[in-house]
Amino acid sequence: MAPSAATPARYYDGETAQVLEVGVRPTAGELILFRPADSSIVARWPVNETAVLGDGSHEGAPPIVRRGGEARLVIEDPEQRRQLAALIPHLAALAEVPASAGRRIAALGASLAVLVAAFWGVIDYGTEYAAPWLPYSLQVKLGETVYEELVADKDECQGQRGLAAINDLANELARAAGYPHEVTVHVIDGGPVNAFTLPGGILVFYSDLFEQAKNSSQVAGVLAHEIGHVVHHHPTKGIVRAYGVDLLMKLVSGGYSDLLNTLTSGGNILLAMRNGRAFEREADATGVALLEKLGLRADGVSSFFEQMMEKEPKDAASAAGIWSSHPPTQERIEATKRPPTGRPAFSTANWKALREVCK
Amino acid sequence: MGELYAIYLRHVVLMVLTLGWSRFWGRTRLRRYLWNHLSILGDRFEYRGRGRELLIGFLLAMVMLAGWAGLMWLAWVYLFHEKPFATFGMFDIFSLSVVMIGFPLAYVGHYAGLRYKLSRTRWRGIRCGLAGSAWRYGVVATFLTFANMCTVQLLTPVVTVNLARPRISNARVGTLPLAFVGSAGDVYGRYLGYYFLNIVAWLAAIAAAFAIGGSTADKFGLTSDDLLKLFTTPSLRTVLVAAAVAVGVYLLFSLLILPLRCWWQAYWFRYLVSHSRAGNVLFATAITTRQMWGFLVLNYLIVLLTLGLGWPWVMHRTLRLIAGELWLYGAPDGASVRQRTDGGSPFGEGLLDMFDVSGL
Repeated sequence: MAPSAATPARYYDGETAQVLEVGVRPTAGELILFRPADSSIVARWPVNETAVLGDGSHEGAPPIVRRGGEARLVIEDPEQRRQLAALIPHLAALAEVPASAGRRIAALGASLAVLVAAFWGVIDYGTEYAAPWLPYSLQVKLGETVYEELVADKDECQGQRGLAAINDLANELARAAGYPHEVTVHVIDGGPVNAFTLPGGILVFYSDLFEQAKNSSQVAGVLAHEIGHVVHHHPTKGIVRAYGVDLLMKLVSGGYSDLLNTLTSGGNILLAMRNGRAFEREADATGVALLEKLGLRADGVSSFFEQMMEKEPKDAASAAGIWSSHPPTQERIEATKRPPTGRPAFSTANWKALREVCK
Repeated sequence: MGELYAIYLRHVVLMVLTLGWSRFWGRTRLRRYLWNHLSILGDRFEYRGRGRELLIGFLLAMVMLAGWAGLMWLAWVYLFHEKPFATFGMFDIFSLSVVMIGFPLAYVGHYAGLRYKLSRTRWRGIRCGLAGSAWRYGVVATFLTFANMCTVQLLTPVVTVNLARPRISNARVGTLPLAFVGSAGDVYGRYLGYYFLNIVAWLAAIAAAFAIGGSTADKFGLTSDDLLKLFTTPSLRTVLVAAAVAVGVYLLFSLLILPLRCWWQAYWFRYLVSHSRAGNVLFATAITTRQMWGFLVLNYLIVLLTLGLGWPWVMHRTLRLIAGELWLYGAPDGASVRQRTDGGSPFGEGLLDMFDVSGL
């Protein structure tokens, strides 16, 4: 077992910051560390008490220690380390040589690409199927929390008759689509001319929309469109996808970069835009189909969009700029155009009550 | 750098597989690699932290945050809920309170994180460490930063010197303390020059941006309506125009603003290093504005343009810069530097992790 020459190493005693150039000579049961100049012994470490800290993949020169002590022995030359490890099986970790970096990078890079694609697929398509399975009570809680936040400094309209009229129609449309839960419509006093849907079947209308609408069919058209969002679980899907992209960006950047926020918001905008457009088309189609199914006038959405186009000669999407989540209005008008046939969605009295819901 | 990339990619793959829970172990592996490939006087650094220490630190920080959220919930229920003056929600209170405590806590986290990292760092087998109170540092840093904001950044030298001092003077290698002998007065003249040149550069950049933007629009006969249309109907052309504008703005700012900032930062770094010492070991550096540009700007761009995958390259560049530009004069008296008996922080970096500012 005796080697022909001692192995040169640096020895740190663990008590002071002195460094000693030593020779290392392994014997049957010991590692003898000595000064090459005068062969005086620096330390004798029983072989079975030695250990290697770290490994050759991470440490440039993994230190050898005696268990329970803080002293260290460092052999810089990889070949000398390999020879010592060959003589002392206890120190086999010294001889570990990692696989070629290029091969590992290629394998890990390919794995990463597959994982990212799979993750993206799960986010993008998985939510399509998973969103309806999210406990309804959780969706409601989420929707109510967001709603409370949104209306904290706004006035909610309290006209009972108007609210009953729009809630009744909303639930009739939802039932027609086979939606098993109750939906709730809230009306906020003022503008913009808009309506939106929150998780848990919560719909929010701004009263300016009722004032701007030329007839009740337009409001019914917008309402049916929002019910389209509800029955397709769009708000929940949107939130899950946004969160998923956020998480993915964090993960692939290793959790290190301050740029995460920038990247994440960029990714989210792109995804929201894509989702937004797909969701709007789906909600348009479902809304019109629901109105037709109930025998109600279904020309409301297209005529409402036309009216908006007249008010704002440029495409309405321009108002929201390049990142608009809505498809170009002209395209939506064409897709939702229906003849002005069918019975009105609201009675004259209910329509009046709805227009006065905030008074 | 290939080895570093392999370790980093393994970390990222595991991050995706474990939804981020492997980060504590991944960071530890990266640190082990980086520390052990950096040496002073021929002796490599060692990193002996453990992933589970980082995990425990993170969990403790989460418990703290949960406790805080509980307190805010109680405050909401008993003090504000259904009160006429409360035109805000539970989330508002929580977010506001997190911003308020988050600001000082991020500083506390920075200091505590530095203490953890140093306590797990060894050189010549001797543990490094950081004395001083992280909470005290957090209070001082918050106060100074707030004061600096109120004085439109004119107190920057006072803030930087007073925040650098505890981080350097409280650091030690075993029983050998580091020392920082800088003072704000030394750097004020240079800072004021930078400050006012910066204002001039901003004005020049804005004027140049308008001039270039206006003449370009005229050249192509674009009206404001055309520009609006360009951005409302996204097309390849829009993307190309937007990219060209972004490159133009970046070039403008790189030419006028960033070199100035790098000039100041290089000066400040040289000052910081040359006014620090460890016993009879003196430090010096001659880092140039151009090198600082590579460090601050180019590294940022590398990470941004590679969606984070250039991080190992950036780290490699940074360590090479440190190795090449940090010069030591004198050698420590090894026999007089002794191992300290205290073990340093038991857990690591929870607060840093929570505020996502941990870096390496």
